[in-house]
Amino acid sequence: MSKQLALSLRNVGTFYWRQAGYLRKERFWALKDVSFDLYHGESLGVIGRNGAGKSTLLQVLAGILRPDQGELINHGVQAALLSLQIGFVPYLTGRQNALLSGMLIGLHRKEVIEKMGDIQSFSELGDFFDQPISTYSSGMKARLGFSVAFQLDPDVLLIDEVLGVGDSDFRRKSSEVMQDKIRSDKTIVLVSHSAKTIRNLCDRAVWIEEGVSRAYGDTAEVLGLYEEQLAVKS
Amino acid sequence: MLSARYRDLILYKTLADLRAEAARTYIGFLWWVLDPLIFMAIFYVVFGLLLKRSTPDFVPFLLIGLVSWRWFQNTITHSATSILGGQGLMQQVYVPKVVFPLVVILTDLVKFGVVLVILLVYLWAAGFSAGWSYLALPFLLITQFLLILGLTLLVSAIVPFVPDFKYLTEHALQILFYFSGIFFAGSSIPENYQIYFYLNPIANIIEAYRDILMYQKYPNWLALALIAALGLGISTSAYRWIQQNDHLYPKLMKR
Repeated sequence: MSKQLALSLRNVGTFYWRQAGYLRKERFWALKDVSFDLYHGESLGVIGRNGAGKSTLLQVLAGILRPDQGELINHGVQAALLSLQIGFVPYLTGRQNALLSGMLIGLHRKEVIEKMGDIQSFSELGDFFDQPISTYSSGMKARLGFSVAFQLDPDVLLIDEVLGVGDSDFRRKSSEVMQDKIRSDKTIVLVSHSAKTIRNLCDRAVWIEEGVSRAYGDTAEVLGLYEEQLAVKS
Repeated sequence: MLSARYRDLILYKTLADLRAEAARTYIGFLWWVLDPLIFMAIFYVVFGLLLKRSTPDFVPFLLIGLVSWRWFQNTITHSATSILGGQGLMQQVYVPKVVFPLVVILTDLVKFGVVLVILLVYLWAAGFSAGWSYLALPFLLITQFLLILGLTLLVSAIVPFVPDFKYLTEHALQILFYFSGIFFAGSSIPENYQIYFYLNPIANIIEAYRDILMYQKYPNWLALALIAALGLGISTSAYRWIQQNDHLYPKLMKR
């Protein structure tokens, strides 16, 4: 594996404003001190409990949030979050929504139009593709959402928990293509609270606890520390 | 300036919103016409029939005022919560926040365009034919657009930080509505108050529409030029401010 840097975080912290009573907002530091490096071609797992700051970390990596302290060094890559059903409008057809959603997640209009055939066939929606999505079941919407989002091919793909979506057959299919993508040469950051998922799919891992990166490195080592700490707490 | 990708996104999102709005009801886009017509009919009954205004040609006089006002009011109220409403989206993908109000501004511009065409057809049918004064119409439309653009960007930039500003805006618009000469002419108010009346940009704009469309007169160029400059000034500063504070908006979300 080539050891070329893609993204580096150095003591990154990010806050949100949250309402603290009448006319007062206070800073809530979702991330306090996170440091690690992401290399080209690797799959990095981010493990941690609910509310540890994992999703906020992905938002920072995706450029949605800026670090308020510390530093995010981008070594010339474009990172994007795998976002499903982004900007779907109920009264528009599957095709129209695919175009709108594709443009929102970062594709050019032409790219979406070129890939429309793939999106339609992958979604298995058939004639429903040209029906308003208000007539769709939630499973059908999930299929369309995944088929669009999967077309996005950024340098670094950020995945928050979701691997497979939709009803059982599609869930298997989408989960398979997703896992293939993660195991391929693509640079991936995968967030999960499941140690098993990360063990199966990731080369290296980071453990986040209360906004702080506690351990970083070889997957087995990091997961070992994480599980040890879970056992102590419970 | 926004990149070509985001300009495309704004255009397609505008088209999508218009389509969705038309698809949401039985008679679809006919509502864009019916909605202002019903509104105007109410004002015609109240001010034209019940209160018997003495202004000659009161119907076209009133319609011009209402069409222009509705464009102004609708755009500002519709887009007040546009950035706030985009919070869910901006947590998942990076989108320049200025995209949200710009989509609403364009959507309402299209709807205004439809109503304007109907108004012009009505005026021609009612005997107010097009003349040389129409040459000033594009300049007047651009002036009003700049004013709307500026105030809309300003309001949508502030509301996410101070949600109450939305209600303040609605009340301010309600008050302004009565002071903009929609159902009376500026010349009909006492002379010593006229100077204050003409400090209101919308009052000047509405009067300019009547000059052009009804009286075949050129509008007050100086007033329009000042309003256009004001609109351009607010537009550019509000636009820059939103762009500079772009990264703050996603932080406001979680409570």
